[in-house]
Amino acid sequence: MVPRTHSVWKWWKAAFRPVGLTVVGIVVLAGTVWALRASQLPPADFTFSNLGEIKTVDPALVTGASEGRVVEALFEGLTTWHAENLTPQPGVAYRWEISEDALTYRFFLRPEACWSDGTPVTAEDFIWSFRRFLHPETAAEYAAELWYIEGAKKYTTGQVELGEPVEVELHTKPPGALPFAAGVIVRGKLVGLWDQSGLRVLPEWQGELATWSRGKPAYDLSTPVFFVEVDGQLRRFQKGAQLAGTEDYRWLLYDFQAVGIRAVDPYRLEIRLRHPVPYFLSLMGFYPFSPVPRHRVERYGFPEWTKPGKIVSNGPFVLQFRRIRDRIRLVKNPYYWNRDAVRLEVVDILAVESYTTNLNLYFTEQVDWIPTVPPEVVAELRKRRPNEFRSFPLLGTYYYLLNTGRPPLDDVRVRRALAMAIDREQIVEKVVRGGQRPLQSMVPEIISRYVPGYRPQQGPTFNVAEARRLLAEAGYPGGRNFPPIDILYNTSEAHQAIAELVQSQWQQHLGIKVGLRNQEWAAYLSSRRRGEFSVARAGWIGDYVDPVTFLDMFSGESPLNNTRWNNPEYNQLLEEARLERDPLVRLQLLERAERILMDELPAIPLYEYVSQNLVRPYVRGFFDNPKDFHPLKYIWIDQQLKQAIFRKEGLGVLFGW
Amino acid sequence: MIFRFLLRRLLWLVVTLWVVFTISFFLMRAVPGGPFDRERQLDPQVEANLRARYQLDQPLWRQYLGELGRVARGDLGYSYRLADFRVSEIILQGLPISASVGVLGLAMAVVLGLSAGCASAVCRGSVVDVGLMILATVGIALPSFVIAGVAIILFVFLIPLFPAAGWGSWSHLILPAFCVGAPYSASIARLARTALLEVLSQEYIRTAYAKGVGTGGVVFRHAMKLALLPVVSYLGPAAAGILTGSVVVEKIFSLPGLGVHFVEAATQRDYTLAMGLILVYTLLLFILNTIVDLCYRLLDPRVEIA
Repeated sequence: MVPRTHSVWKWWKAAFRPVGLTVVGIVVLAGTVWALRASQLPPADFTFSNLGEIKTVDPALVTGASEGRVVEALFEGLTTWHAENLTPQPGVAYRWEISEDALTYRFFLRPEACWSDGTPVTAEDFIWSFRRFLHPETAAEYAAELWYIEGAKKYTTGQVELGEPVEVELHTKPPGALPFAAGVIVRGKLVGLWDQSGLRVLPEWQGELATWSRGKPAYDLSTPVFFVEVDGQLRRFQKGAQLAGTEDYRWLLYDFQAVGIRAVDPYRLEIRLRHPVPYFLSLMGFYPFSPVPRHRVERYGFPEWTKPGKIVSNGPFVLQFRRIRDRIRLVKNPYYWNRDAVRLEVVDILAVESYTTNLNLYFTEQVDWIPTVPPEVVAELRKRRPNEFRSFPLLGTYYYLLNTGRPPLDDVRVRRALAMAIDREQIVEKVVRGGQRPLQSMVPEIISRYVPGYRPQQGPTFNVAEARRLLAEAGYPGGRNFPPIDILYNTSEAHQAIAELVQSQWQQHLGIKVGLRNQEWAAYLSSRRRGEFSVARAGWIGDYVDPVTFLDMFSGESPLNNTRWNNPEYNQLLEEARLERDPLVRLQLLERAERILMDELPAIPLYEYVSQNLVRPYVRGFFDNPKDFHPLKYIWIDQQLKQAIFRKEGLGVLFGW
Repeated sequence: MIFRFLLRRLLWLVVTLWVVFTISFFLMRAVPGGPFDRERQLDPQVEANLRARYQLDQPLWRQYLGELGRVARGDLGYSYRLADFRVSEIILQGLPISASVGVLGLAMAVVLGLSAGCASAVCRGSVVDVGLMILATVGIALPSFVIAGVAIILFVFLIPLFPAAGWGSWSHLILPAFCVGAPYSASIARLARTALLEVLSQEYIRTAYAKGVGTGGVVFRHAMKLALLPVVSYLGPAAAGILTGSVVVEKIFSLPGLGVHFVEAATQRDYTLAMGLILVYTLLLFILNTIVDLCYRLLDPRVEIA
């Protein structure tokens, strides 16, 4: 042996061997046991994969499809959607009246609707929830969808004009308020505003305000002073109350009482719109517009109120627990008004991301439904599991954006030539291979089945000869002198494969050279936004079943319009459609708008998305629809069939050790 | 001496964390895109409200100081993307899982690697040696996701021993740990074999044999200790590799560990979560390296630690 020299080391070594190793062993073991704690869960009635961890269960803050699947199970809005035809059905509101001018909606709430702690859901709950939704502090991403309501936009943006009613939230809390409740609110009229651009005052207050401001040193006015008339008295508000004679405040907003939402009585809610919105009833069934429990939110604040044990909900299910990136467990809500119709007791929602892993879980009977499958197995699944693989057209368009601000794409002939040189059949059959249908219109074809009277307008079809002719006419015969352009897409095998195919089709049919540029998601979005692209891949899933969700994004002022294309006639048609009260005339206006879009081609539609659900045959009450919306409250399990299938496959009691 | 060594390391740790924090902070904000980028672009006012909510509307230096202060107090803040959770909650839930897989994987790698390495060295030149070393070479060449694919086909579908993915019981842990550890066990086997062969040719081994100690005694009592040195020095980077490399395996087996959070936090510009994870990883790697340094000293007293 090598001689030992240092006594400290001797001690360290002597101590480490027996004690150290045992300690390390115990720590590792204890750690693993701790990590595995609560592992022996009782099985759920129904388990499905949600394709990833959700952002939040707070309805006001959710955006994605994964979040939607959870939120729609927990909460219920004024209306709900029919699982097959998506028409608005009674939700918390059991009936509604719409005024003659289609601007005022009166909802009658069912008195038996409750939160999962037994507290009734009233019109005040909805008003408070909508107010929270619109409040700038909440920063709800869907806020713009509620701006159809009178005054709602002003409330969110906080832009108030002189003479308009305002509400000022102070730092002090009303007596007896919950910890996260809003502060005392002072209501009044904005009579003056003093900021860097000077003093603006309503004429009747001119004299008084001028006197007040004259005596003040005109230093830093980056925090403006608001003059508000409250009950005949003048009060001055400034952030931080830097100037003498001003009061500090938290928020100064357009008065919510002037927003078109009010309670007629505890069970009657009235909403007034700025212009007719034919899909407003549907919108009220969209999960972000579900009510949230004021008594919990104000007690715990966000995000604490979303924790199991603190959250209460008014939908068919309640949240039992969440394990990050593992699962969310829901149990049936015993207080749900329609509880007798809900047949699942326990639902597990797994956060499995990888498509292949999802498929493995499905085949080993760990999950009953996966909402998507790897594209390469679609053909095989169609053949081998025709009863389980369910593909249905979605209200979604995959398309290429063309930057019309950049030559040569500023020339409509070039855009048409590019569109005509794309063989969409080849794209869906060779590359996408998921049963998608080629699309010649911006609004997906499937819409005509749900919005009768709308015919999606077709763009130019595949026609190489005509494409070449147009390109030559634009000054690039045979693709000569064609400036270099590239296709921008976010990193993904599927997008890459499509871009490569389009690249080769353009090369082959038009003789032009096109580069490919892939960027990861956030960088790609940023490039798109700044217009740093020639051609960019894009996809759009409609928010609601109406053509306007696809057409609005090409209007000149839409923040989604990255194409630099701004057509006054198009904008005008959309504006006319917005104000039109006759639904059929409105659809005709929208058709005309899409006609312009498809002639001008700031974007080339490629195909219509499809849903690709893989659902066990014993799962009943699962319906196909273009929103890929599958509410859990309708789903039930055919136990006999399930047992029979599990026996036949010889699995089921596995993995018990 | 050992205390002074640890104290100095601690000091360096603080400096390292600060440097890592600073670089990450500015790098994250320098890359294009932000946490509120969506395909559905937000209304400018809504986005401004969002930015204000997360204090992103303030000048960069103020954000930096604010966040540094918070982190120094041990508050990692709320995640942007998993908005219902604090970063500390996410780490607390994910770390034990990643650690379980990592430790088990490392243990498998060491046990398998050492046994194979010893067997090869002792039976040098035999069929066993050649077979094991071919296996080891293949093992090094194969990335863990290939091993995972093969393991799933074998042990989930053909011989249904383990669940395909998920988390909840011991059986969920075995395959991922194996897939994480396999490439490293192959490297360890090769390292152990080479080292053991070299040690076995030294004179004190001959003495041991001359004293009449059997092969097992010579290998395990006399030769192993020195032969372990290169293996131990390899374990530092290996542990780091397992820690960061488990991302793919975690994804394939859908384990709710930290690996996937790490990748997603970066791609989704979840500033707080990314920062929290970066700091945790820095801390872990630092601790691992320190342990490896200590182990050197333990195995070979000739090594001086400074």
